Amino acid sequence: MTDFDLASLITFIPAILRVTTPILLAALGVLISERAGVLNIGVEGMMLTGAFAGVVVSAATGSASLGFLAALIAGGLLGALLSFAVHVLKSDLILSGIALNMAAAAGTTLLLFMLTGDKGMSGSLSSKVLPHLTVPVIAGIPVLGTLLSGHHILTYAAFLAVPGVGLFLMRTPMGLRLRAVGENPESAAIAGINVRRVQIGALVTSGVFAGAAGAFLSMGYVSWFSQNMSAGRGFIALAAEVMGHGSASGTMFASLLLGLAEAASIALQGAGLPSELMQTVPYLVPVIALVVHARRRQRQLARA
Amino acid sequence: MIRSAFASFVITAVLLVLVVGIVLVPIALSLPDPLAVLDTFVFGPFRNPRHTGNIVEMATPAMMCGLAVAVMFRAGMFNLGVEGAFFLGGLATVATVLLVPLPAFAMAPVGILVGAVVGSSVCAVPGYLRARYEASELVSSLMLNFAALFIGLFVVNYFLRDPAAGAMVSFRIPAEAKLPKLIAGTRIHLGTLVALAACGLGAVYLFMSRAGFEARIVGSNPSFAAHLGLPIRSILLRSQVIGGLIAAGAGGIEMLGLYQRFSWQSLPGNGWTGVVVAILARDNPILLIPAALFLSYLQVGGDLIARNFDVPSEAVGLIQALVLVVVTAQAIMRNPRLIRLVTGKKPAAGQAQDTKAVEGSVA
Amino acid sequence: MTDRPLIAFAGISKTYGNGTLALDDVSFAIRPGVIHAVCGENGAGKSTLMKILFGLEQPTSGSILLDGEAVAIPSPRIAAEKGIGMVHQHFSLVPSLSVSENIVLGQEPRRGAFLDRVAARRRVEELSRRYNLAVDPDATVRTLSVAAQQKVEILKALSRDVRVLILDEPTAVLTPPETDELFDRLRDMRAAGLTILFISHKLREVRALASHVTVLRAGKLAGDAPLAAIDDEAIARLVMGQAAGPALKRGGRVSGTPRVVVSGVHLKARDANDRLEGIDLTVHAGEILGVAGVDGSGQRGLVSLLTGRAQPTTGAITYEGKPTAGLGTAALRRLGLAHLPADRFQDGGSKRMTLVENAIAGAHRLAAFSTGPFLKRRAMETRTEEMIVHYKVRCPGPNAPLSALSGGNAQKLIAAREFATEPHFMIADQPTRGIDVAAAAFLHERLAELAAKGGAVLLITADLDELLTLSDRIVILYAGRIVARLENEPGLTPERLGPYMLGLESAA
Repeated sequence: MTDFDLASLITFIPAILRVTTPILLAALGVLISERAGVLNIGVEGMMLTGAFAGVVVSAATGSASLGFLAALIAGGLLGALLSFAVHVLKSDLILSGIALNMAAAAGTTLLLFMLTGDKGMSGSLSSKVLPHLTVPVIAGIPVLGTLLSGHHILTYAAFLAVPGVGLFLMRTPMGLRLRAVGENPESAAIAGINVRRVQIGALVTSGVFAGAAGAFLSMGYVSWFSQNMSAGRGFIALAAEVMGHGSASGTMFASLLLGLAEAASIALQGAGLPSELMQTVPYLVPVIALVVHARRRQRQLARA
Repeated sequence: MIRSAFASFVITAVLLVLVVGIVLVPIALSLPDPLAVLDTFVFGPFRNPRHTGNIVEMATPAMMCGLAVAVMFRAGMFNLGVEGAFFLGGLATVATVLLVPLPAFAMAPVGILVGAVVGSSVCAVPGYLRARYEASELVSSLMLNFAALFIGLFVVNYFLRDPAAGAMVSFRIPAEAKLPKLIAGTRIHLGTLVALAACGLGAVYLFMSRAGFEARIVGSNPSFAAHLGLPIRSILLRSQVIGGLIAAGAGGIEMLGLYQRFSWQSLPGNGWTGVVVAILARDNPILLIPAALFLSYLQVGGDLIARNFDVPSEAVGLIQALVLVVVTAQAIMRNPRLIRLVTGKKPAAGQAQDTKAVEGSVA
Repeated sequence: MTDRPLIAFAGISKTYGNGTLALDDVSFAIRPGVIHAVCGENGAGKSTLMKILFGLEQPTSGSILLDGEAVAIPSPRIAAEKGIGMVHQHFSLVPSLSVSENIVLGQEPRRGAFLDRVAARRRVEELSRRYNLAVDPDATVRTLSVAAQQKVEILKALSRDVRVLILDEPTAVLTPPETDELFDRLRDMRAAGLTILFISHKLREVRALASHVTVLRAGKLAGDAPLAAIDDEAIARLVMGQAAGPALKRGGRVSGTPRVVVSGVHLKARDANDRLEGIDLTVHAGEILGVAGVDGSGQRGLVSLLTGRAQPTTGAITYEGKPTAGLGTAALRRLGLAHLPADRFQDGGSKRMTLVENAIAGAHRLAAFSTGPFLKRRAMETRTEEMIVHYKVRCPGPNAPLSALSGGNAQKLIAAREFATEPHFMIADQPTRGIDVAAAAFLHERLAELAAKGGAVLLITADLDELLTLSDRIVILYAGRIVARLENEPGLTPERLGPYMLGLESAA
């Protein structure tokens, strides 16, 4: 590898981290829901709603942090709503998640129109942007500075959340209960655990993560909301979680892989390749990864 | 059985009215003349034959997408590739009639056939990956929907794009390829008859054929199917290929029935409507017909208020979402008290047991 | 010790949503510090009553008195607070968690925000020592034997400061020596002041362990007495409601040519309980070959090989002289295989489908039930109605869902389907587990009849009485090997099988 390639690779890394951030945040949310036995298919709609709430509230209050808080709350509320459908109405989990995605796409458009008179973009709202962080000292070091400093605050949050979620799941009483509920709800109930409460908590938490991912979309680099701006990233997050085999670190590596695919597709579009074909890459990689994973599992079973 | 089916029908009907009301009334109240909004939504679609025709036109793809979903769900496959198959089927059909020199009479049938085969890949590939590698068809079909979208846009941009048109749309679909209109004053076309026939054939397949019976065994209990020695993998794959062919064929029919050019810039949403229709019809091909007509009626009502008042038609999306949740809500549909209220009698034994099982009581 | 009852059931009734009356006005009392047995056939209401006591089910009417006071027990958590613990028939453990994680689940020791794993391990070790039940706190539950899992289950119940311990059919999964060890531990616990409720339908065990017995029959209290005051025949009469029928007569059967020959078969499986290490056995035409062994001795692996769901790693199987290598279930069924699976609702049928669909499935491609690609629904229905009559299946009608049937009636319908093909080789895996006596007797007759007509039957059962009643010859599996081959002669008793089943002796 020549020096030039190495240098361009290093400058490419911030781009990868940028596109990985929303996928990773949402995928960690999916992970928590999945380990509790309530896979959150509604993550796409929760992201979209989070993105919308962030823009509207930050424009109304003039505060980026309040906007971010609103995105978290909106995601959490949708998590509670999904949980209401599943635990109270006893509707199907997957179908309720799909319904939530449909409702979020329709609802954000409807509300955007009511607030701005425009169905497509929130251009008329002057919303805020969340900041980047410069890490003192490290920022000055040549290669390390590019790698570790100057990223978006939510990028740091997402990667710091990985060990956080991992420790929570594997080392805390609450995480133990959550895993027990996800694996065998009857046994958990017999052990005196309130299964429904754990699952409600997992879905709300999952929604909060998705809300944060949504806030990154509308308040991370841009300061606007557009119709359906999540554009399937929630589904990519779902794929990342599946590829991550139920662990926080596995989910992170899968998210990075998918982020790399998306960043590469953006970079290659600039290189004159048909942009439409490049845009398929982030959706094809998870399918290939699923097949590779499934084949390996099959081979392991065959060998055992 | 009949009594509980009746109860389920009544409860569903009441729920639908409630759901429409919950979404529509607040929106109407936010506008200057709420009564006129409700009136337009509820009765508007029937005041003008053209609008009534719109209901039938919209129900056509809804029926077929619903059928595609029902065939796959009945086999136990949560394959959501219908959305992408519909899109890709429409595109491949248009590409065929534009690019392949065909005699006039063959344009529509060949175009739709090619569209069906090409588009079905969005359901068939996840089906194959599931049957061959046990990779989740849910996740891979969701991904392939988006892959199909971008591949489709690439084909439009590089091969079909009419430079004379302002937007990124294809050349005009030749008049000879269009499906004949059936009723003057509306746009109802031959495709509606195809869709009705497909629903009928779907019922024959699922309930009267050996292949459909086997698919339902696999769908209701795969371990039982294995015990009987049924070829599970090929049954799963077959179900998803059939579903894909129906959905993609519907896309082609939609294009040749209603469109001048291929103009979709994003996934059109018919596949998701198909999921709602199938769930509302409880995966029963005959019930797909009223379910599709009902949802299309809502869509036409929504479009009418969007046109006449200052409201986006997205309100209908909210209604669809709520329909999806409430008609699968065991707590409502299997509520013994509600069933008793409707039938005046105790619920059937099997029903009550099912409710218990769903509530997850510890056995 | 006082004479005041610790627990009293007062007029407990339970009606399920489908109208089944599971318990009908049941009242009796349990004194503290005793081992109290609750006896009855499967479906008599024993488990339902215990679930009510443990807060898993709520009575429709009646009340529970604890120390003389009426108490509500809405959940297992409340039951635990009141000092009631339960060892479940199907264990309540989470397989991927460790032993200590399972035991502390729900009341975890904490250090800061984290689980204190050292304290958890210490707690398990203390319990293990106090009750003389040895377990490895760090082992993953999935890897443990059934008997070891039961120890974990008992420790889990004991870890919650219980006064009353309920054991629901604890010996069903154990060998005779393991049962003896369990009984010793239970006597220790009683000596330490615990009150034990012992649910069983095995008289011998009740007699060996308990001091008082309550008998339930069809949801009603049939009798309640100190064991010193009642003899075995009287208890049996209370349990059965009538004198037990005579045991099925064997004989009149002549073993014919070898029909299924398994030679030198090894199977490597992911689950150690399914592994086979060098199995040789022959099932002849006209005989019932019984397979005994503790759960998880390789029975499942053997069944999956013989039904074509797995292929042997090494070794060969022949059906009527033809090698079966590479053949799947469908091909073996064409050669004359039939199979009554151990889990009837999981593998034997589809609860959501109708009786017609369940009864004809598999035969639906025969000319009798289809023309071209289409099904003959009328013919399917007529045939099912005949099966319902012939097999005495109690049901609302042929188009009712299978879920509307009791376990015994569902098993009879499944048996009707499997016997309908006039099989050359029948695998009956736990054919009568959990079903009523009449249905069990009926199925025993069908199996004997099939053998008498020249069919080969492989009977896999955990019920040693069933094994000894039906089999011509018996093989005993232990850890994937055959450790004994016995002719089923009159003097053979369950006690003689025990040492083989536990791998203490080998005669092969």
